[in-house]
Amino acid sequence: MKRLIATSAAALLAVTAGLALATAAGAAECPSGEFCVWQDANFGGQRANWSGDDGWWESWISDTDSSWANHGISGPGIKDHVQVYENAWQGGSMTICLAPGQEVGYNGAANDRGDSHIWSTGC
Amino acid sequence: MVRATSRTTFRARRVLLAAAASVWLAGCATVTPDGPGPGGVPVGKAAQDELLKSAEHRLVVDCLDSRGLTLTARPRAPDEDRVLQAALFGAGPRELSVTLATGATVTANDDGCLATARHRLYGDQRRWFRAQVTVDNLRAEAQARMSADPAHRAALARWTRCASPPGRPRSDRPDPAVAARCARETGLEDVRARLEAAELVTVRTLRRDELTTYRQLRDRALRRAAELSATTHPKKGSTHS
Repeated sequence: MKRLIATSAAALLAVTAGLALATAAGAAECPSGEFCVWQDANFGGQRANWSGDDGWWESWISDTDSSWANHGISGPGIKDHVQVYENAWQGGSMTICLAPGQEVGYNGAANDRGDSHIWSTGC
Repeated sequence: MVRATSRTTFRARRVLLAAAASVWLAGCATVTPDGPGPGGVPVGKAAQDELLKSAEHRLVVDCLDSRGLTLTARPRAPDEDRVLQAALFGAGPRELSVTLATGATVTANDDGCLATARHRLYGDQRRWFRAQVTVDNLRAEAQARMSADPAHRAALARWTRCASPPGRPRSDRPDPAVAARCARETGLEDVRARLEAAELVTVRTLRRDELTTYRQLRDRALRRAAELSATTHPKKGSTHS
């Protein structure tokens, strides 16, 4: 099955521009059901994790966020997407919206800018 | 769709499930212009979202079940949770990757139960991942473009002066009531509403290919989800038919 996926994926890769292959192994270390933010890129350094919303991140992680992972568990009626904002109380611009299982190891534009996040049913 | 009728060992059942999934995957490796599927696809977006989430959840639960794992709300010990994380989100390399115009490179594994469920629903994990991540972040992309607009910069400067009166240190996190009042009084609120709407139109034009793919694969997933809910046994967590 794995080979089958890899074969069809390779064929599709040829027609899908902009896709890059990441090399890091395994999902980031972030408890299931939670949203995690790390001070360093590639899920390094101190980690903050939440199962709920936080309108004002603690000072040690606010504006020092460098990588993010949504390990929310989906289900009917469950808010499983995470929206990250550059200001407290979901103010300013939304820097990223992640569905469950999605991770961002680094983002030059959103690096050290997050101040709050909210779980939602979509983006 | 997985019709494993095995009553033998757990391992045999797992092999059968994998085989059934392979047949299914082989069937969807080629994109065929399916006609309208059987009924059961709701019209409203909210109901469609629920149908997709229910189907995905069901596939994930079945997949975890085949690995001897269950999704429960009870707290798990760290080691136990790591096993669940690996099964759910994947343990191999992060093979799905898309770099957005905002600079973020969003990645995901393609080997966990979640990825397997999405592959079954959407038919093509890579195309769906790219379309979903792009479409989910259209607003973020529009807002990033908006931030570069001189009118927005000017309004934001007025807002900062309003929210940080002279003689007091600039606050990144003013009181929510003060922030909202200043957004109204300085015109930042209006500028944002106007610019964001315009930038969203631009961004939706720029990303029209991804939007088209998003709609196509979502329609396909809706048909699969409707089939799944119509053909599988109603008993939760069961893949037998």
